[in-house]
Amino acid sequence: MRSWRRNRESGLEAELRANKPEPSHELVNKLEARVRSHRDARAGSFRVAFAGALAVGVLAALASVGGLGYAATGVDQAASTAKRVMQKHGVATLHKTAASDQYKKPRAKKCPKGMKRVRGKCKRVKKARGVRFKRPPFTG
Amino acid sequence: MFRVDPLANPEPLIKRVYAYVAYRVGDGPDAEDLTSETFERAVRYRKSYDSSKGEPIAWLIGIARRCVEGRPPPLEHASEQVDAPDHRDLEDDALRRITLSSAVGHLEERDRELIALRYGADLTARQIAELQGAKTNAIEVALHRALGRLRTQLEAEAETPVRKSEAGR
Repeated sequence: MRSWRRNRESGLEAELRANKPEPSHELVNKLEARVRSHRDARAGSFRVAFAGALAVGVLAALASVGGLGYAATGVDQAASTAKRVMQKHGVATLHKTAASDQYKKPRAKKCPKGMKRVRGKCKRVKKARGVRFKRPPFTG
Repeated sequence: MFRVDPLANPEPLIKRVYAYVAYRVGDGPDAEDLTSETFERAVRYRKSYDSSKGEPIAWLIGIARRCVEGRPPPLEHASEQVDAPDHRDLEDDALRRITLSSAVGHLEERDRELIALRYGADLTARQIAELQGAKTNAIEVALHRALGRLRTQLEAEAETPVRKSEAGR
């Protein structure tokens, strides 16, 4: 009490500043964390928005110089090439293998001489008679 | 145009707001609650801060003033709740702080507000004038008078324990 009396003319203001109430560390830390957490959340959304804006900007720049059409053509060509390659070099199946030789379907037996297979059955073939030559009549 | 974040460096702001609130309502849990409420509102409405209208501390003190004015009235007078300090138990600094706080608590609302703004929140007379819609000169005069009343109050409080001790003998 004597100290502020001693400096009553000039020191009271300094005393008021020096002895002003101070918050507890707990309160300061709590409020700082609250403020910072809110700021971090905002920074995250800002980053996402910035990335989106950047992507839109790049697309707009490409579109202005025909880059999008070029890219679309490239994709189209790549797709058609892939399709062609896949069709030509499809899954190869081998028909002449040792297994197919061994287990192939049995061939039908040959028909005896003078017979011919007609609809799975052997039938006798008629002998050709030949051509009968007749002298044409004299007409004079 | 990029916005200025008013809460970019929160620690000094927290201390100044707390000092302002504590000079207004008294040091303790009430002041802590009001400071927390002030920062909750500041975080919620930080987009409304306009750097062209003033510094972040002036904006925060504006919020704190509304919080203090909007609180329910205390059941007893705040100054009556402050017990007379036991001089033997307290260190000199703490004693001085309590004596000052008690003397400020006995002042009228207007004087307390001015002292809280000037010495708690460390605002300039010009900033206080802008906040209260008054002229800077008027604020300086009012502050001078408030300090005079505070001195008188401190002298009165200094004499009271002496009389008590004399009466005890």
